[in-house]
Amino acid sequence: MTIFTAHELYSAIEEKEDFLLLDVRNEEDHKRFSIEGPNEVMMMNIPYFDFIEEPEEMVAQVPDDKPVRVVCAKVGSSEFVANLLEGLGRENVSHLDGGIISWGNLLVSKRVNSESDDYEVWQFNRPGKASCSYGLVFGKEMFLFDPSRNVDYYLQFAESRGAIITHALETHLQADYISGSPKIVEMTGAVLVAHDGDYSEALHQYHSVTDGEEINFSTENGPVVSCVHSPGHTPGSMTYLIGEKYMISGDTIFIVSIGRPDLGKMAVEWAQMLYDTLHKRISVMPDDLIVLPGHYTDWEAEADSEYRIMNDFATVKAMNEEIYSIANIDDFVTYIQGNMRNQPEIYGQIRLVNFGKLTPCENEQNIMDLGKNECAASKHGGIENA
Amino acid sequence: MKEHDDELDCSGLNCPMPVLKTKLKIDKMDAGKILRVITTDPGACNDLPAWAGKVGHEILSNCEEGDKYVFYVKRGA
Repeated sequence: MTIFTAHELYSAIEEKEDFLLLDVRNEEDHKRFSIEGPNEVMMMNIPYFDFIEEPEEMVAQVPDDKPVRVVCAKVGSSEFVANLLEGLGRENVSHLDGGIISWGNLLVSKRVNSESDDYEVWQFNRPGKASCSYGLVFGKEMFLFDPSRNVDYYLQFAESRGAIITHALETHLQADYISGSPKIVEMTGAVLVAHDGDYSEALHQYHSVTDGEEINFSTENGPVVSCVHSPGHTPGSMTYLIGEKYMISGDTIFIVSIGRPDLGKMAVEWAQMLYDTLHKRISVMPDDLIVLPGHYTDWEAEADSEYRIMNDFATVKAMNEEIYSIANIDDFVTYIQGNMRNQPEIYGQIRLVNFGKLTPCENEQNIMDLGKNECAASKHGGIENA
Repeated sequence: MKEHDDELDCSGLNCPMPVLKTKLKIDKMDAGKILRVITTDPGACNDLPAWAGKVGHEILSNCEEGDKYVFYVKRGA
């Protein structure tokens, strides 16, 4: 029986391979979260128990003109269905090792800056969450921004660059995924960097970052990380500028849309903060800065030709003119309120985990952490939920 | 414990086994009879009701007993 990894699945989607993705989870789980990649995927959802009831009829429903990749929650049911397909004469059948969880945790790294620079900026895209974390490598040190729970990946990555992780910087307290920073700090001795506005309640030890602060590598001539307090999405949101070239914007601004300020149940106050941040702190930044956001919702609109989620700030402003052009605070609050929608219930729990106040087992964390983000302010920037 | 006609212990088994074994067992039972199914696989908690609803069996109740999930499945016509 042939198996494929989540990374191989990502590559197949990126390279536009012709195949059918057969999700054999139940319809409810499939609807809640399914595989999305940089290109369209031909997908079918037939629960494995339908194959149990009517094997021949169900196999007949699966097109036989292309390779079939089977996916389930863990691994048993996809193997079962793949075996059934092969038993009934189908060729080119394989199934996902580690199930949907391994897709949910997958990270894909892309180099952001030129190979000839003496430092490296990396984007770690998490397709299952539609979120991005970042790495900045200089000499033997690596700064990590907004890492997810896939801590082993970052540690191996740092090792492959001959570096150790010295700082884990949070742009804000995440509500939509479990932060990997505390674990990285525990394993490496790195410094957790976060703003009091979000982290004062947290039980973790952290370096309290302030507006205007600069964070440097221990060796000379490295890129400087300039820290800009940019409250709005959360009161402690930070934007990190790398060497005046890159803007790690967290959930303050995205390539399409901006971070919603209504997740803390103080929509008006936080929207007012966000308005000030946008106009007094973000809009005044240079047009040629490259924006590296914390999330995306639309690969086609937000990724470049190399499937990196980035663009220059001038283009970002032009793409979101309807937001940036709002010229007074009341209209801005009205815009935010007009686009408000519920947040997933699990966000409250995830915040507690990120504060260090709740420690679910690994299995529970996997389940809590599965699913696409809901962080964009405009409706087109997220899935509607009731 | 509720009244039931037969019992199936799927402790330690992962998907697809709990649904598969339940099907094989209940297919041999008469309509209206009740099967008590025990599973330790959280995945089965969504799948068993989804499967039963489709094929016309009724889930009379489901509850957690310690680290086990217990379902009472009534065989459909």
